[in-house]
Amino acid sequence: MMINEDNYETYFMSYIDNELNAAERGAVEAFVSTDSKYAAALAVFEKTKLHTSTNEYMEMEDKIFLYRFPEMDAKLDTDFKKSLYKKEAPVRKALFTPNLMRASFAIAAMLIFFIGIQLFKKDTIIKDKTALAITNNSSTNPKQTENIILRSNALEVSVNKNNNSSAVLSSLPFNKKLNNTNNNLVKSATASQAAFEDQTIASNNTSTSIVATTEGLNQDSRENESQKNESQIRSNLMETMPNEEEKVVPVIPTTYKEIDTEKDDRTINIGMLEIDGSAFRGITRRFSALLKRNKIEKEK
Amino acid sequence: MTDLEFNICVDDYSDGVYRFILKISKNKEDARDIVQTAFEKLWVNREKVETLKAKSYLFTVAYHLMIDQLRKETKIVMTDSFDENTQTVSQGSSELKQLLLQAINNLNPTQKSLILLKDYEGYSYQEIGEIMQLSESQVKVYLHRARLILKNKLTHLEKMSA
Repeated sequence: MMINEDNYETYFMSYIDNELNAAERGAVEAFVSTDSKYAAALAVFEKTKLHTSTNEYMEMEDKIFLYRFPEMDAKLDTDFKKSLYKKEAPVRKALFTPNLMRASFAIAAMLIFFIGIQLFKKDTIIKDKTALAITNNSSTNPKQTENIILRSNALEVSVNKNNNSSAVLSSLPFNKKLNNTNNNLVKSATASQAAFEDQTIASNNTSTSIVATTEGLNQDSRENESQKNESQIRSNLMETMPNEEEKVVPVIPTTYKEIDTEKDDRTINIGMLEIDGSAFRGITRRFSALLKRNKIEKEK
Repeated sequence: MTDLEFNICVDDYSDGVYRFILKISKNKEDARDIVQTAFEKLWVNREKVETLKAKSYLFTVAYHLMIDQLRKETKIVMTDSFDENTQTVSQGSSELKQLLLQAINNLNPTQKSLILLKDYEGYSYQEIGEIMQLSESQVKVYLHRARLILKNKLTHLEKMSA
């Protein structure tokens, strides 16, 4: 180990840090003794060392909290700990919450409303069926002209009765209940049409006999040419009559009724439907009252 | 490590760890919290830590906790006086010590820690290296650099006062 001018500071610092062995410390002390300036330098390095003294000693406050005692780590045995566990009783959830109740009431009200509409519909169809039967019975009078218009979602019947009564029936897909009504109508219309065909055949026979008579006259004598012409005209007229009748398009007059709003027992007509006004008003009032009450509850 | 051994460690080392942390962090509350945490860790790991290495373990944990704390608070630059902020510190009445403390205040936390661990706690380079996770040669170089800074400062201050 060679201490010299270049490395003496490192040795001095290691010396004050007490990091040198006995031999090295002896070498440093020998080097310092060679020159006073090295002794001064070592003294300066000594000054950079902090020296603890009793005055500088600091005690930590609240040191008591750092201590550990066996009691601090005492543990309960597992069985006893298990006996301390508690189970909370399961909370029953209400099946019908207020919102669900309201929704249920609303659905029920809607169902009642639609069932009511269906019932009104049924009543109206029965009334129409009765009216149609009455009309068919009254059709025996040939001079009477009636126009009955039946309209519904499933059925439309137009019966047009003239001197030769004819019926035009058109129908759309319909249910079984309405089918019965329709069959009755078809029967009555078919009966009327059969009567009309009989009359037409009768008239045709008449015209045929007229034509035959006319031909006979032509063969016998031509003197009655004018009569023949007249009969020919008549037969032509008779032949053309059924065609003209077939081409007749039934005109259905539309009638409007003024609703008397003053009446308490008025009926409301929506298409084929006849709705009891007072009953409908009652339903709407209850429905509006229910909505109002819900609104007030919500506001509260 | 038994309960008794642990409590002996509290008696022997808690003040030293507290002093070390307080001189660097200059905050009594922080220093107390760090000491508390360091002993908590020692207690948790008492089965793994040998009693003879308990002091080194405590200083290591406390040093790293302090560095983390300083990083959080960005208190890396320490310019305040040692004595003003650490009221429990009494470096005596000598002018030299006042100058020395003033000079130490201007060191960075690593250099300051090295000085404190060496001079106050008397750790060897190797032990300081273990605490601060530095190699022995690094400890030597950094510590010598710190001493040279202190030497120059003291020389300068002495000239100024003269």
